[in-house]
Amino acid sequence: MRAALVAAAAAAVVTFPYWSRPWASPFATTLLRDALILAIFALSLDLLVGRAGMPSLGHAAFFGAGAYAAGIAGQRFATDQLPVTLGAAALVGAALALLIGVLVVRSEGIFFLMLTLALAQIVFAIAFQWTAVTGGSNGLSGVGRPMLAAVDFSAPDLMYVLVAVTFVLAVLVLWGLARSPYGRALTGVRENERRMRALGYDTARLRLSAFVIAGTIAGIAGALSAYSTRFVSAQDAGLGNSVRAFVTVLVGGAGTLGGPIVGSALVSLIERVVPSLLPTDLRIADAILGIVFIGFVLFARQGMVGLGHAALVRVSRR
Amino acid sequence: MTAELVFQQALNGLSFGALLFILASGLSLVFGMMDVVNLAHGAFYMLGAYVALSVVQSTGSFWLAMLAAPLALGVLGFVLEPLLLRRLRARHLDQVLLTIGVSLVIVDVIGQVWGREVRSLSAPAGLDGSVTLIGGVYPVYRLFVIAFGVALAAAMAVVYRRTRIGMLIRAGVQDAEMLGALGVDTNRLFASTFATGAALAGLAGVIAAPVFGVQPGMDTDPGLLYSLVVVVVGGLGTLSGAVAGSLLVGPADTFGKVLFQDVALAVIFAIVALVLLLKPTGLLGRIRIAR
Amino acid sequence: MGGFGKNELAAKRGYTYRLTRRQFLVATSAAALAACGPAAVTPGASPSASPGKELKIGQLLPFTGVYAELGNSMRRATELYLKLNDQKLANRPVKLVYGDDENKTPTGIQITQKFIDQDQVDVMMGVVPTPLAYGIRNAVHAAKLIFIDTNAGGNALTRDTTDCKPACKSPYIFRASFSSYQISYPIGDYVSAKGTKEFYLAYANYGFGTESAADFTTGLKKNGGNVTGNVAPPLANPDFAPFVTQIKNQPTKNVYSFFSGADAIGFIKSWNSLGLPAAGYRMYGAGFLTEQDVLKEVKDLANGAITSLFWAVELDNAENKKFVADFQKAYLLLPDVFAVQQYDGMRALDEALKKLGGDTSDKDKLVKALEDVSFKSPRGDFTFDKSTHNPIQDIYIREVKTQNGQTVNTITDKIAKVTDPGK
Repeated sequence: MRAALVAAAAAAVVTFPYWSRPWASPFATTLLRDALILAIFALSLDLLVGRAGMPSLGHAAFFGAGAYAAGIAGQRFATDQLPVTLGAAALVGAALALLIGVLVVRSEGIFFLMLTLALAQIVFAIAFQWTAVTGGSNGLSGVGRPMLAAVDFSAPDLMYVLVAVTFVLAVLVLWGLARSPYGRALTGVRENERRMRALGYDTARLRLSAFVIAGTIAGIAGALSAYSTRFVSAQDAGLGNSVRAFVTVLVGGAGTLGGPIVGSALVSLIERVVPSLLPTDLRIADAILGIVFIGFVLFARQGMVGLGHAALVRVSRR
Repeated sequence: MTAELVFQQALNGLSFGALLFILASGLSLVFGMMDVVNLAHGAFYMLGAYVALSVVQSTGSFWLAMLAAPLALGVLGFVLEPLLLRRLRARHLDQVLLTIGVSLVIVDVIGQVWGREVRSLSAPAGLDGSVTLIGGVYPVYRLFVIAFGVALAAAMAVVYRRTRIGMLIRAGVQDAEMLGALGVDTNRLFASTFATGAALAGLAGVIAAPVFGVQPGMDTDPGLLYSLVVVVVGGLGTLSGAVAGSLLVGPADTFGKVLFQDVALAVIFAIVALVLLLKPTGLLGRIRIAR
Repeated sequence: MGGFGKNELAAKRGYTYRLTRRQFLVATSAAALAACGPAAVTPGASPSASPGKELKIGQLLPFTGVYAELGNSMRRATELYLKLNDQKLANRPVKLVYGDDENKTPTGIQITQKFIDQDQVDVMMGVVPTPLAYGIRNAVHAAKLIFIDTNAGGNALTRDTTDCKPACKSPYIFRASFSSYQISYPIGDYVSAKGTKEFYLAYANYGFGTESAADFTTGLKKNGGNVTGNVAPPLANPDFAPFVTQIKNQPTKNVYSFFSGADAIGFIKSWNSLGLPAAGYRMYGAGFLTEQDVLKEVKDLANGAITSLFWAVELDNAENKKFVADFQKAYLLLPDVFAVQQYDGMRALDEALKKLGGDTSDKDKLVKALEDVSFKSPRGDFTFDKSTHNPIQDIYIREVKTQNGQTVNTITDKIAKVTDPGK
């Protein structure tokens, strides 16, 4: 029964542009597409932050690297076939995550946070200044149209479908990971690393593998972003993007599958919808996001999912 | 690369280093005492510069701004610590996250109140000329910045080593809990420390303004990023660490930008990574960053 | 270490995934509902095309960062034009929709998409930075949205390029400003023909800066000139001292620069505080280096600089005198070239609409009408080159002087009817 409900929800998400067309503008599809890309990105970060207890403030490095990889692979190999470009994005995300992971995996908490921030800044700096490869501060324009065999996915509705299908796949993968022994081991590392080591787990390797998986998925999210705007900028790998994903995870609820998803909805709402409701001279979307974030850190640390759970528990107790 | 060129760029680098010291010392102090990396430190720096802008606009006095901005930031810090951070005592990571939120709010409010154009502050009259030195003409203001940085470091060293408050700070950096157990009002100490850190950031904002301008984005670059680089490289929690870090990073960045135009930024952060890997405490720090 | 996602649900076996499935449903419906917010707010209206109906113009301008003053100036020019024309273009009342690209290409692309999908504007104007213009070229072309570029001078925007990289011309894209070739090549040709052949370059390291430097170099080489070296600070550079120090420590005294907005202000201030004028260095540049937005900040620090541009506030023709007077009366400021570009863009649109009786329903007719416009602008005679949609205009050689208490660009020479080569 539950499986059927989930399948129905997934189908609804993937086919959104088609059933919403009568009453929603094409802009709604664009908004949802961007929210889903953020959701994939946040879900990958949650694997680190929520499940493995690794608070990374440098996750955008992999997002950006994947975006550049897809764009550059398309241009260099003169093809925009998705298996090639998405494959390149996943590969680059994984490789970079391995490289950085090896350096950061032995630290914890605040230090891990600072290290990931610093190393991600190197990636950003390279992207910003290596004009020959990345376009430097001009960014990488002319990202091609994503193709699968003869199907051109650059049309707005098809682009959305591509993103939505990837989103559903990402959710399934991460859900499977969470339920698996691997996922439980990661949770164990987060809760009591010493005990896990005593039990014989190679905790460093567990954390590194989580880092690489998260980096891979983030890279794919970056590639989708590159195809959506047909443009990659160094900011895709920047601190602002890392902070955004972190805020999304925390506000939604770290350590849960629904958290990053709900978080992306809320963050997208604040960033894109709220400004159109306010007078154009009042631009405080980031301030609102900041206040909401502070509120959650202080009073609802488990995020919206945590609030939802608490409400449900109260309801079910009656 | 003539000798004159090297000398002039070295002066540029040292003036940048002096600025970095004023900026990073606050971050280092707060971390050392409270185990919190204040990610809003760059926003405090930015706010200091904008407050100075307003003070100079209404009173015409740069010197007044140099007093007003740190004061304003100090008050802000003194209010924020009990209001936000204290609620999460002992949850250091969450406190760090809180500061991210604070940063988002401050930066947006600045844009709303002061606008989003690029502004600048002129050096105060008397310091706005140039003098002839080896290699040519050099702006007086940058020499002032170097002198001010040295003086501030010296003053802080005296306070740190010769006064009671300095002793409290040194003890707090070592072990804040013990201080509490010994009867020191840690609430007041933490609030004052956070306020001082904010004030130092604000002061850096004022002093940097005639050189680096006042503009959107300054909270991250140079604000937060460079203060993080300095404290990680030099060592968290110690005054000598902040000095060492700034002396290294200032000139390295200046020469890097000119010599390796395209990879300068990457080089700076590569230095960070290198230090963290080879000497995890930072050059002169006492707190290990990685196992 | 504080509780990181210490989800006590995880402790209870099987409880986590049951809840997360439910949350998945809740979440996706929430996301869908969230996306419907804007859909509900904006009705899917069809763009008004008939005379008398409102004409929606999307203005993509920077109001944040290094080019914010340019955005402000262009907004003033837009509003001035409408004020003098009864808030109408031809017979259509105008509704302006502004978007701040913050000098960030992705933000600008997002706003462009919003103009197309949500606001459904009839025409789009603006865009200051070249990378942004390149970034939106495809979206605008695909949507058949008439876009009048009122600043970005990237050459590729009005040329045939291989594979349309980084961009290429489009029938729907017009330019009311200039191409970087037009303001860089002629001055290179001019100064080298007059005997000044050796130059050192200093330019902002981004699309427009590098194009300008390259075109200037080509102009120099035409008469046997050459470039001895360069320094290229990043765009929006806060501290010019290290770079200007480099300039000072090399022997070539003639320096050609490209900087605009706040960068130009920073560069000129550094140039002076490090003593370059006294040491015999001469400043040359593309016109933006010393435009009025810069001169109002640096005042006489730029005196003696020689730049090229298709306009100067001192230009002596009736249309310009009126424009400068109107602008000053409205804003108590001298206009700058950005205001002129935007003003001309509005005028071009106005003239085209007048020919069509205000009817914007046929895009191709509007394109043809725009191609055919010809009017007297503050810069002189204004026409579009029919094959590139770039303006054909005179380029002036200017020198910065302080006269009557104002620092302005005075005109010393003219290069007539410069056209962009188009490839």
